[in-house]
Amino acid sequence: MDVIPSLDLLGGRVVRLTRGDFATAHAYGEPEAVLESLKVPRGSRLHIVDLEGSRSGAPIETNNVARLAARDLRVQVGGGIRSVDDARRWLDCGAQKVVIGTVAADSPDTLRAIVDALGAERVIAAVDVRDGVVRVAGWERDAQRSLAEVLASIRESGIEEILITDISRDGVMRGPSFAMYRSLPRELKIIASGGVSTIGDVVSLARLPNIRGCVIGKALLDRKIDLAEARARAAMPSAIPERVIPCLDVRDGRVVKGVNFVDIRDAGDPVECARRYEAEGADELVILDISATDHGRQTALETVHRVAEALFIPLTVGGGVRTVEDFRAMLRAGADRVAINTAALRNPQLIADCAREFGVQAVVLSCDAKDGQAMVRSGKETAGVNAVDWCVEAERRGAGEILLTSVNRDGTSSGFDIELLRAVTARVKISVIASGGAGTLQHFRDAIEAGGARAVLAASLFHDHVLTVGDVKRYLDAEGIPVRW
Amino acid sequence: MEVTLIDSPVANVANIARGLRAAGASLEVTRDAEVIARAGKVVLPGVGSFIAAMRWLEENHIDDAIRAAVKNGASLLGICVGHQALFEISNEMGVTRGLGLVAGEVKKFEGALPVPQIGWNRVTANGAPLFEGITPGTSFYFVNSYAASDVPHEIARAEYGGPFTAAVQNSRVFGVQFHPEKSSTAGLRVLRNFVAWT
Repeated sequence: MDVIPSLDLLGGRVVRLTRGDFATAHAYGEPEAVLESLKVPRGSRLHIVDLEGSRSGAPIETNNVARLAARDLRVQVGGGIRSVDDARRWLDCGAQKVVIGTVAADSPDTLRAIVDALGAERVIAAVDVRDGVVRVAGWERDAQRSLAEVLASIRESGIEEILITDISRDGVMRGPSFAMYRSLPRELKIIASGGVSTIGDVVSLARLPNIRGCVIGKALLDRKIDLAEARARAAMPSAIPERVIPCLDVRDGRVVKGVNFVDIRDAGDPVECARRYEAEGADELVILDISATDHGRQTALETVHRVAEALFIPLTVGGGVRTVEDFRAMLRAGADRVAINTAALRNPQLIADCAREFGVQAVVLSCDAKDGQAMVRSGKETAGVNAVDWCVEAERRGAGEILLTSVNRDGTSSGFDIELLRAVTARVKISVIASGGAGTLQHFRDAIEAGGARAVLAASLFHDHVLTVGDVKRYLDAEGIPVRW
Repeated sequence: MEVTLIDSPVANVANIARGLRAAGASLEVTRDAEVIARAGKVVLPGVGSFIAAMRWLEENHIDDAIRAAVKNGASLLGICVGHQALFEISNEMGVTRGLGLVAGEVKKFEGALPVPQIGWNRVTANGAPLFEGITPGTSFYFVNSYAASDVPHEIARAEYGGPFTAAVQNSRVFGVQFHPEKSSTAGLRVLRNFVAWT
């Protein structure tokens, strides 16, 4: 997948509009300076939008585009191209391709004339969509035809690349419309545009069969995404299998389950559950001890030991770890990694101490988030800290991974909290395990694809045999998300 | 089959012991250099820092004991940092000498992917006996920031940004960068292949 930096030009300067509204224009400076600061390499594809041209219906930024095309960049330019003459003017400026918007949606005959004059390989058709409806003329009115009709006529004209922008997503960093791209035919060659705001978005787009490129504007300009890193990751979107992790909530040596951390019920023997999950293909197992007493915690160590004896996949254990010595005891009992939560919020230095003693790979920060706040005591009390900021701090202090649980969603089967996941994965490099709210197969996909999680965790769904670990992995695989077999 | 497991404090010895037992080994877990030097089949585990692992081996003369055992015809399996210790050199915090039983050096991962690598990664072997019965592309569990790459005795490789060496074999000396004891049935098969290897 090509990662294509995008510059919107207005009055010779690089600007960004929010949702296509000229009143929101934010200026970033001269195009050459912006290209330097983004480290756009020679030979790179560059997407340029002539904003005033788009509004007025005639090429405006021709001198600026000619200057940029002379810098050994493969420029594709769009905005206000309504005729063969307009399109020719851009190619005369040195642009390699023209991006045809309004005409592609509104006027199949003009589109065909442009293709006949220039050749289909020099034309990219651009379709702007809002809530499933095609928009034209700088997004200021609806097109006359449906998205399916527009796409059909573009393909009949022989044009290969179609740039599809969900304008409700553009410039607002909510992520691309994965659902829309998934709903479109697999054989299209789509350049995705709008909402790409994290490296995870780039990876997720690169996994979709009909996405051949993605255009990134705001996220590059605002330094949310590094171009070189995005290109490297886009070239290997399936480098690492994503993990499916069953969780055992354990109290007094028994697996229990509850809704929103209360209303606890017995759900069986931890060793039996662990064995079943490994056999089903679990990539890892998490045990969270929710015992409230010292006696219960002693039992937890025995439980960890019993489970570790029966298991040949990685085991992460959390609950009641207050000190480096508690951490060590869990490792000695057979845990590979230990999750810390309340104690780290009360003493953040504990993260660094454990990372130094046992290595960052052993330290998992467990963050229970409720209404945006990090919670202590099994989600019962707020710690007075923003959950996203806390995850960022935990990474800085040496956490190797974050287990992010939405207390609001936990036990509800209404889906993972995608907004929370995006907020965290946009700001940390370490991997995030999504937890809380799994109810359907699609929820697991969405946590990885849209949320940017590198692992998905569920408890009651697996305990109750609603889904097996194998069901989830088969589904993810079919959806193009790499899993371990 | 008798296996001598080196009881390094810089390792997850208990988990590896469980894996080896499940793979059919009868184990002697020891840090006695003389016992190791006379052993017929040795496993060198290791997690965390290369320097700490090597320092412990040297201070307790276990480095010489391992070399003596191999010279006397023992087979050896290094796991994770134990695998890295087999090479001539590691570049972890400057340059540290390894056991020199396998040619090559260990370097930090470069590129866009997060380091350390924590998780499952697909491994492709070249038909070596250590991977007998394992389908190419089977995933194993890795936790590492450093790895060898493109070394002469490579028998399996994986990709993390670029290709790296997942396993080596120099005659009777084997090393695996992944954790076979945490790699479910495929990992146990690798351990069983080593335990049964003659």
